[in-house]
Amino acid sequence: MAQVQLSGIAKTFGKVTALDAMDLTIDDGELVCLLGPSGSGKSTLLRIIGGFEMPSEGTIAIDGVDVTDLPPERRPTAMVFQSHALWSHMTVFGNIAFGLKLRHLPKAEIRERVEKVLDLVGLTGYGARLPSQLSGGQQQRVALARSLVVEPKILLLDEPFASLDQHLRERLREEVRDIQQRLGITAVFVTHGQDEALAISDRIVVLADGRMQQVGRPGEIYAEPKTAFVAGFIGAMNMLEGTLADGEITASGLKLPAEGSGPAKLAIRPEDIELAEPAEGRTVTVRRMIDFGAHVVIDGKLADGTHLRIQTDKAIRVSQGDQIGIRVESWTVFTEGDEPRRYRSDTVRSFRGARYA
Amino acid sequence: MISAPRSRVGGGGLSGLLLVALPVLLLLWLVLWPVLQAFVGTLYFPGKGFSAASYVYFFSDAYSLRNLWLTLWVTALTSILRVAAAMPIALYLRFRTGSIAALVQSLALFPLFVPSVLVAYAFIRVLGPNGIVDTLLVAVHLPKLPSPYLQPAGPIIGLVWEGLPLTLLLLLSGLGRVSTASVEAARDLGAGGVTIFTRIILPRIQSSIIVALAFNVLGLFSAFTLPYLLGPASPEMMGPYMQRTFSDNADPLNATTQAVITFAFCAAFGLIYVRAIAKGRKGLR
Ligand SMILES: Nc1ncnc2c1ncn2[C@@H]1O[C@H](COP(=O)(O)OP(=O)(O)OP(=O)(O)O)[C@@H](O)[C@H]1O
Ligand SMILES: [Mg+2]
Repeated sequence: MAQVQLSGIAKTFGKVTALDAMDLTIDDGELVCLLGPSGSGKSTLLRIIGGFEMPSEGTIAIDGVDVTDLPPERRPTAMVFQSHALWSHMTVFGNIAFGLKLRHLPKAEIRERVEKVLDLVGLTGYGARLPSQLSGGQQQRVALARSLVVEPKILLLDEPFASLDQHLRERLREEVRDIQQRLGITAVFVTHGQDEALAISDRIVVLADGRMQQVGRPGEIYAEPKTAFVAGFIGAMNMLEGTLADGEITASGLKLPAEGSGPAKLAIRPEDIELAEPAEGRTVTVRRMIDFGAHVVIDGKLADGTHLRIQTDKAIRVSQGDQIGIRVESWTVFTEGDEPRRYRSDTVRSFRGARYA
Repeated sequence: MISAPRSRVGGGGLSGLLLVALPVLLLLWLVLWPVLQAFVGTLYFPGKGFSAASYVYFFSDAYSLRNLWLTLWVTALTSILRVAAAMPIALYLRFRTGSIAALVQSLALFPLFVPSVLVAYAFIRVLGPNGIVDTLLVAVHLPKLPSPYLQPAGPIIGLVWEGLPLTLLLLLSGLGRVSTASVEAARDLGAGGVTIFTRIILPRIQSSIIVALAFNVLGLFSAFTLPYLLGPASPEMMGPYMQRTFSDNADPLNATTQAVITFAFCAAFGLIYVRAIAKGRKGLR
């Protein structure tokens, strides 16, 4: 139904460059998450798609039609804002019906469509209430319904559940995913929660400092981060400063096979570390053990005091000050200006070209 | 167990009372007492008893009534003009940023720092007979315009200019409660500027408009300097009328009667204002 194509999009506010040379195609029916730290330009990009900001450079096309110069009301997009966007002097019904009344639809049809969308977001019978008489989660559902009722081709959501508690956020994002798939619309979802992005996206766009760091499926971004930033931002990661020499990387006393020379970053996921017999260059001192029930996390200390996070079996029990040996199953080496190299202990050979399956 | 919180509540009430005691005492001493004194002084005459003759005179005297009527409509028109003039500026300042907005803001707030007397003389220099406007018109061989000086329009123009900043600040504080997201959401759904103003913004700033109107009415009803310097001599607004009755006619009784009547009108507006605010609060909850 709707494909979005961004070409060479850039945006500057005075001297601040909020976005830089961005090319991205969002396919029909896809849910794409824009993920990045605060100030990375997520909202700016979303607002450019919605028509609330004009890009300084580049063009946006929706279904092949150039919409770069069109205002929000003339684009087939609808935006759900973070909060405070409901009209507090109108009832829930009034809020949702607003867009339909502007389209001069007959009263009966407005009523029917509002009831249908209230049903869709699970708020049947709430039409007569004022927004102030709803919980935060219900308010955001009304905001969602208000956008959905005008049947947009593209739904834009700017951290819609950021002000809600963890449980509610998880439930609502599942609902959004569900509704989006049922209606088959395209959606762009801004979040700075990586779990949120991993949970609902078809694809994730990782932003940092106004640049696209990586675009890919959730599993792909987790397993094959393209930059050290993405590796550190998505999921838990031990990121160590090291030096490459003689087919080895040495970082905080830890030695692992790796090619190349010069300074490099060694990235190891906590779950890629197994416990083993202590040995030279592979010993960690336990600082703390955190029992999550389903698994155990050991906060360890390497030779030079650097923290190392290890995720291991729930049956493991260690105590503070214990010396434990480790075996690293897989690791990634990032060098400035070069593609990352990934290694596995069973093969110990670079498989930089391999794709995540 | 129970007495502890209760005594804390009592203590809070007491210190709260002490906090408001001073302003309340000042209000009683400086406002309510003189009002009462004036009211009694115009109705009760020691040795002669009660008489409402001065009020009967005011409401049967055609000249007094014309003055009251002039004051009423000048006040109403000026208040509305102030809000109407401040609204577009307030909307502009709320939804635009940048150097032009800063300039507009300082221009709009400038009258706050200009004394009324200066406003009046600047007005006479510019819009008065043979003022700058007339000079310019003559220079390009156009006929002079009828000057608003000494016409009801004179004080209205001056008062609108003088009262703009306060009205603007009141409207701006109201607009501060209208979130940008709520306006953008309306735009997103296809609402144009007028629809957004009437359906989204206006309902949210209703109480600020009422406050602005009420403040203006209260201040304007007893305005003195600008009506005195720029307004017509007959009929005249209540401020100059009172002053002239008191000192030129040496008639304190009738001057006080005029003051009590003016106060009664202002008190009535004050009551309307308080009730509107209370209702607005209830409506928002
Ligand atoms: N209207 C504006 N005027 C000036 N600078 C702006 C404006 N909007 C955004 N910026 C700047 O652009 C950059 C990106 O901002 P943006 O709001 O897109 O970040 P974000 O990724 O949404 O962050 P957050 O997670 O905090 O919402 C920031 O440096 C911000 O200061
Ligand atoms: Mg943002």
